[in-house]
Amino acid sequence: MDGRETASNKRGVMGWLNPRHYNLERWAYVFQRVTGVGILMYVLGHIGDTSFFVGGPFGSGPDPGTWALDLSFTENLVGHLILATTVVIVVFHGLNGLRLIMAEYGIIFQKPSKIEYPYQAKGLRGLQKHMIWAAIVLAIVAGLWAGGILFG
Amino acid sequence: MRESRLMQLQYATAAAALVLVAVHLLMQGVLVPYSTAISFDRVLAVYKDGVDVSLLEILLIVVVAHGFNGVRIILLELRQTRSWTTWVSRGALIAAAGTIAYGTRTILLAVLGAPS
Repeated sequence: MDGRETASNKRGVMGWLNPRHYNLERWAYVFQRVTGVGILMYVLGHIGDTSFFVGGPFGSGPDPGTWALDLSFTENLVGHLILATTVVIVVFHGLNGLRLIMAEYGIIFQKPSKIEYPYQAKGLRGLQKHMIWAAIVLAIVAGLWAGGILFG
Repeated sequence: MRESRLMQLQYATAAAALVLVAVHLLMQGVLVPYSTAISFDRVLAVYKDGVDVSLLEILLIVVVAHGFNGVRIILLELRQTRSWTTWVSRGALIAAAGTIAYGTRTILLAVLGAPS
């Protein structure tokens, strides 16, 4: 590879954010990546904050003092909003990811047929579209449920 | 490792994470009340339980491997030169190893360390 392919791919990651000519599957593709990066950021923060159970980076064992300090930073309105939002994006990412795995292994693909006008992407018919909407709806329901637990 | 193998790894860790994250979330407020789940004594009991702590360690490895491999895939969609591919793959591997090491350190100190 001499770099010419790279030069022709000028939109790169920013191309995800251009909504022109997007269909539902394309939006699901963008959100799968955006939510994935968001979840990784949360996981890194979560691994960092739970380390305060053992006194933080320089701790040596379970420490109720540093754990209480950690909870004083995370157990508030902002912390709970982050947690509830994380539940929404985790559920969407997980269920949409399940759809992608099934599509990758050909489980939910339509059977091939003759190309006829008007041209429509086969993968977007029926089950795949329903699965994307199910992921969106269940993510919102899970977020509301988490909100109920955190703020209830 | 070949890209096809890495994608299979991505799907395998995704399937495992789906189950493990569901169990983890259920333990944090559904099966166990949220205020109890984050209390010091309850968290310590989870770390001291062999099954729970094993699931936490597996969850750590699976989620971090899936996350950093995902970032690697995204960055390789951005550019595809050989040097970029090499450095992104090495960077993702080092970042994942460092994160798993730090998370495992927390688990080991919680399991083995005496409460202060």
